[in-house]
Amino acid sequence: MRSAILAGTAALLFSVVTPAFAHRVDEYLQATTIAVEKDRVALQLRLAPGIEVFPRVLALIDTDRDGAVAEAELRVYAQRVATDLSLSVDGARLPLRLVSSRMEPLEALQDGRGTIELSFDATVPPGGENRRLLFENRHQRAMAEYLVNGLVPSDSTIRLGAQQRSFDQSVYRLDYAQAGVAAQPPSIPWSTGIFGWAAAALLVFAGFFSARRRRGFAGA
Amino acid sequence: MRSSTRAVRGIAVAAVLCFSASTATAQQTDTRAASPTARIVSAANRFLATLDQQQRSNLLFAYDDAAQRARWSNFPVRMTPRAGLKMGDLSAAQRSAAMSLLSSVLSARGYEKVQQIVEADEVLKTSERNNPMFGRDLYFISILGTPSETKPWMLQFGGHHLAVNVTIAGEHGVLTPTLTGAQPALYTLAGKTVRPLGQESDKALALLNALDEGQKKQAILGFQVGDLVLGPGQDGKTIQPEGLKVSAMNAKQRAMLLDVIAEWSGIVHESAAAARLAELKADLNETWFAWSGPTTAAPGRNITAYYRIQGPHLVIEYAPQRLGGDLSMHVHTMYRDPTNDYGRKYTQ
Repeated sequence: MRSAILAGTAALLFSVVTPAFAHRVDEYLQATTIAVEKDRVALQLRLAPGIEVFPRVLALIDTDRDGAVAEAELRVYAQRVATDLSLSVDGARLPLRLVSSRMEPLEALQDGRGTIELSFDATVPPGGENRRLLFENRHQRAMAEYLVNGLVPSDSTIRLGAQQRSFDQSVYRLDYAQAGVAAQPPSIPWSTGIFGWAAAALLVFAGFFSARRRRGFAGA
Repeated sequence: MRSSTRAVRGIAVAAVLCFSASTATAQQTDTRAASPTARIVSAANRFLATLDQQQRSNLLFAYDDAAQRARWSNFPVRMTPRAGLKMGDLSAAQRSAAMSLLSSVLSARGYEKVQQIVEADEVLKTSERNNPMFGRDLYFISILGTPSETKPWMLQFGGHHLAVNVTIAGEHGVLTPTLTGAQPALYTLAGKTVRPLGQESDKALALLNALDEGQKKQAILGFQVGDLVLGPGQDGKTIQPEGLKVSAMNAKQRAMLLDVIAEWSGIVHESAAAARLAELKADLNETWFAWSGPTTAAPGRNITAYYRIQGPHLVIEYAPQRLGGDLSMHVHTMYRDPTNDYGRKYTQ
């Protein structure tokens, strides 16, 4: 009986203090900004779970179930998010590095006003003047509300072109131009990398024999 | 007799000189009083004079207090606390002086809009069984720096669905960044229907309807936008613009777009608003208009679509919110100048 009264009082307080008017409810907002630099891409994710979905998000982060989020748990969650993201430039998938992770206090997230901020970056191999970036976010798709936008580059030699997105903004394509870049052979996609390495090895091998022959002729 | 005549003449001349001098002084005073910044500073000092030492200390912040500058949000103050003086803690005279100060930095229409947003929160409070999270008492005022006609300072006024940040720097008045919002976005007060952000909705929809099919194809984005991109906490970011470039609009469409923009740029007092609109007009060819969502609205209701107007010195976002169930009844908007938020152009 006493617990029922306590539960009833708590429910009443909750309904008075945090009505479903002032905050996000059943969506997990995932807003990404993408900053393109000469040899690097930086991703910033602002994650804002609604009050109804926060327990599910917390369960993904608080893996030891102690009701608190340790820095290590947040880093592990950030890595988990990274596995749900994919970033590629000119068809080559780029591995993401976690740069920083920050989470607002649990009580802020519990009432739907807090955010988790994750920053990643990736090294972009040299390429041609016209480049194409592809980004995909599949993290918690069932409850996600995605936003993704390219930031105007601080480097004036980089010019962003067309942005295209899927309807839910989970997939994003950005064309950009890098002025003053010497024309490069197209980068080799990861999937064909083994053939590229084999070709490179053959070239090195041929060069080595050619040099030995030249040295031999010179010595004769 | 002659000497007395001279004396009278002398007194008359002195009186005329005194009168002229006093008239000139009065004219100078009037000229100063006519300057918007002078009027604003006078209103600020009148408000300060009503406060005790503790209240002044709570109201005033250093001009370079970055934390206070960014302490604004769309959330209610119980969820995201503000600093400064709470309206509900002021006496009637202090509150009246605070509102006079606010009205001095805003245009008549801007002040009316702010009042309608605050009243919407009072309506929300009543409809939520007097919920202590909402209401007109829960708005805060703060001043960064010292009110001055020459040196920069800033006035903040905000709470749930409202963050007015006005930087005064000499004759300049900068309103960015400012957040407006409303829930309910339509209510009845004293028998009158009020839509605090109704013009922002109606004028943008009229502009969309004035576009031809080719222009609409460019303006209407093929994806959903569920929230503000550059809302609270997103200072200093500039996103890539998209949609329809205004250079492809005809004169009538451009005028309609400027009319939409004026719903935000015209919140600040008239002379600052005129300067700002002239700046934005000069940028029109590099400005973009993008729309995402339904292209119709129920009569007398707000749109349920997101739109963005973006130029070199401007970002406007209008984002209906799902919270509460009816997209037309809950909206957040953002007004920024990526090159001059918090008046940094005049203060660095």
